[in-house]
Amino acid sequence: MSEPVRLQFEDFSQDEEISALQAASTRMGGIATFLGCARDFSQGRSVHEIGFEAYERMALPELVKLRDEAITRFGLIDARIVHRLGTVRAGDRIVFIATGAEHRAPALEACRWLIDELKERVPIWKKEITPEGDSWVTPHP
Amino acid sequence: MITVLFFGPVAERMETGRIEVEHVAGMRLADLRSTLAARHPEAFEIVSLAAVNGEHVRNMDVPLGDGSEVVFMSKFSGG
Repeated sequence: MSEPVRLQFEDFSQDEEISALQAASTRMGGIATFLGCARDFSQGRSVHEIGFEAYERMALPELVKLRDEAITRFGLIDARIVHRLGTVRAGDRIVFIATGAEHRAPALEACRWLIDELKERVPIWKKEITPEGDSWVTPHP
Repeated sequence: MITVLFFGPVAERMETGRIEVEHVAGMRLADLRSTLAARHPEAFEIVSLAAVNGEHVRNMDVPLGDGSEVVFMSKFSGG
């Protein structure tokens, strides 16, 4: 079975991730998922591709820490996080989060919390590749 | 020596993803940042986070040991 937290260049299967999550326990009564995809439009421009770069030495441990925190904080049975690196095309999958709990509420809340925290805490940067040129997405410091 | 890494928009503005800086006894993270920011203001104007040896560091007074790996980072934009 694949690791529950991964940074990878290749695409992933949502079905395989959910099956792996479900295999953790038959006590799981609620599974929530978040799938982030590459939009073909941003800030008034067409976007053909998005490039992702990570400081992997920090990014992977931070993702592992996030999963551990979510399991403790929301009482999850299990959680999985996969984020792609490299270049993805418009419409492609970027990030997948799946959370499993005995009931739906903690699964849903944890899923939302994980994607919000990931954006704040995990050193990954995206570059939008447009017909007019490439530009890094740089939130203001 | 201290290895300094840059990623994404900071690397683009630095025109490199890696430089080596001579280690000086007593050197703090703030000292390294000041030195590099003076040389590369366009890159450091978007730097808001730093890491030392893979750990996010908020205290800029932390001393840097010889052989440290330092990263100056802009805000993240993953997900």
